Amino acid sequence: MSTQNADQEVSRAIARMKAGILAFIFAIIGGGGLFVMTAWLLVKGGPQVGKTLNLLGHFFIGYEVTWLGAFVGLIYGALTGGIIGWCIGIVYNRIVGIPSTS
Amino acid sequence: MHAETKDAIVIGAGPAGLTASYELAKHGIRSTILEADQLVGGISRTVNYKGYRFDIGGHRFFSKVPLINEVWDEIIDEDMLIRPRLSRIHYRGHFFDYPLQAGNALSGLGLIEACLIGLSYARTKVFPSRQERNFEEWVANRFGYRLYNIFFKTYTEKVWGIPCTEISADWAAQRIKNLSLVEAVRNALLGGSGKTKDGKIITTLIDKFKYPRLGPGMMWECCESRLEAQGNHTLRGRRVERIRHTQGRVECVYARTNEGELEEFSGDQFFSTMPLRELISALDPAPPDEVLRAANSLAYRDYLTVVLMVKRDKVFPDNWIYIHSPEVKMGRIQNYKNWSPEMVPDSTRTSLGLEYFLWDVDDEWNWSKDRLIDLGMKETIALKLIEENEVEDGTVVRMKKAYPIYDQFYKEHLDVIRRYLATITNLQTIGRNGQHRYNNQDHSMLTGIYAARNVVGANYDIWSVNVEQEYHEETVSDEKATGDRLIPQRVEPDIDAEKVAPDAVIRAAFAKMDPFALGVAMGLVFAISLFMATAALLVKGGDVVGPHLSLLGHFFIGYEVTWLGALLGLIEAGIGGFMIGYVGAGLRNWTMSTYTKLLKRRAEMDQSKDLLDKV
Repeated sequence: MSTQNADQEVSRAIARMKAGILAFIFAIIGGGGLFVMTAWLLVKGGPQVGKTLNLLGHFFIGYEVTWLGAFVGLIYGALTGGIIGWCIGIVYNRIVGIPSTS
Repeated sequence: MHAETKDAIVIGAGPAGLTASYELAKHGIRSTILEADQLVGGISRTVNYKGYRFDIGGHRFFSKVPLINEVWDEIIDEDMLIRPRLSRIHYRGHFFDYPLQAGNALSGLGLIEACLIGLSYARTKVFPSRQERNFEEWVANRFGYRLYNIFFKTYTEKVWGIPCTEISADWAAQRIKNLSLVEAVRNALLGGSGKTKDGKIITTLIDKFKYPRLGPGMMWECCESRLEAQGNHTLRGRRVERIRHTQGRVECVYARTNEGELEEFSGDQFFSTMPLRELISALDPAPPDEVLRAANSLAYRDYLTVVLMVKRDKVFPDNWIYIHSPEVKMGRIQNYKNWSPEMVPDSTRTSLGLEYFLWDVDDEWNWSKDRLIDLGMKETIALKLIEENEVEDGTVVRMKKAYPIYDQFYKEHLDVIRRYLATITNLQTIGRNGQHRYNNQDHSMLTGIYAARNVVGANYDIWSVNVEQEYHEETVSDEKATGDRLIPQRVEPDIDAEKVAPDAVIRAAFAKMDPFALGVAMGLVFAISLFMATAALLVKGGDVVGPHLSLLGHFFIGYEVTWLGALLGLIEAGIGGFMIGYVGAGLRNWTMSTYTKLLKRRAEMDQSKDLLDKV
């Protein structure tokens, strides 16, 4: 294959996403992120610890800004992040997989 | 008239011809080689003058094609030396390292010149030639005009005899391996040097090279001897004058001996390394006028070496020196003793080869031996390499048609010739002049091997060898015996097998993301997430529903935690998500594209380091 053709092949290629890997990454970011944020507020302390972050309890039943809540949030965050990542990957791949008419 | 019939007739005992015969012998096909000269090896011969051996130019034995290395090892394994390489540039009394090193170059040129070079380089970076039409523009765009004038212009014009502005930029680009994106990334990540099958790193052209103990001619004399032992004769002093063909097949060739006798050689297969111009004019019946005109339009550069025997054991440490100084006509000086100590009969003596690149119509070409030796002496003394009384002997060797010229029309002429030659089914043209291609020795050998294999059923495209200046793998077609010239593929799949996996990863990593698809995916996820969050709060109810989520109304106009707001949020979050995804994918693609351009540019600069070797 000539250099030009090889480069054209790369430039024409469209990336596919590994939905599972994307879900995993989003799960780590979501779960880890929520855990770290909760822990940070707990370590920081103060009169009203995590007043705003506590509102996530509306969506994540059982979540609150406590050490137990941090672990509950870790699971919720990972689950939510995983679903979001997986959805993005699946939808993206579906659209990319639609044959171009051009 | 003497007549002989053999299986194959090979015209020319240079690397291509001898290798073709060598390969044919492996397949049990006998051949006769007809060599016009008294020495074998073509331009890779070694001339012996009173025990002093010298090349026609310097011939490093270096190939990235494993097959060629194997052939060399088969022929003269024990007599092959590994030699260190040193070559410098001589310019206005100074020696400069080669490849150019910034510190060394700048110290040799002086502070003021260094500043001017820097300014010139900066200028070409800011205002490059938009179109790289010729060699001058091509090099200047990469090194700046001032550096080009010092290190590229004079030498290139000495070698090729035409102004750099008349040399096509394509030619320069061909000299530099144009790395693909994948190759550039692989080089950047895994290192530039290739690996052999057993995992050894291929030494770069810069460091060291193989060289037969008694010069390159030794290789071809050994090859000739091996062929002779198998009954494949090399007949020296046979100049092919006529090639009789009929109904698309060559029937026989007629060669004139030095004594004037005409000999006829018949065969089934014919291989020609003759210059295409001579081959076409020897065909009987003559080809159409268009083909004759095309052949006669092919041009060649001629080469002349003045060899001086010097009464000194060491003159300079280099294998050769590029002479850029415009005051002298010579282009290079070879120090044969530094190629192999056995190139001189007496270790207290040194032989220097002064290389002149000429046209056969130039005055100097026809000068007497003594006059040329005198010119060589004067120029070498002017370069302060030797003293006047140190030269004790000298000789001159002329080599016509040493370099095929790539002028702006040669490709068209070559196409006409190739189309015609394709109609003669049992004739294959191989080697540098047989293909009018600036092949190295290994490229020429490869054409010989491919041609020989074609006779036994393979279907190699001989003309694909050296289409790019450097290559790592052999190429062969997988479609057999269709008669067409085919797309080349690897002959030994294991050679690059270990590259396949990293290449696939690189291709996947550098593939573009589809901005639209990512936009839609993120838009959908954002939209549904906000809708569901809003809906969850609404279903849950309470005195004040979703006061905090309602704050998104600052960004999403009309959004609030109501069922209508949920629908508005769905639309607006969808649009917002789409934009984030679209722009994100675009930015990622742009970053990757910029990064790969940078990698390719670096790779090209690395390739350009040894540009002079490729001139």
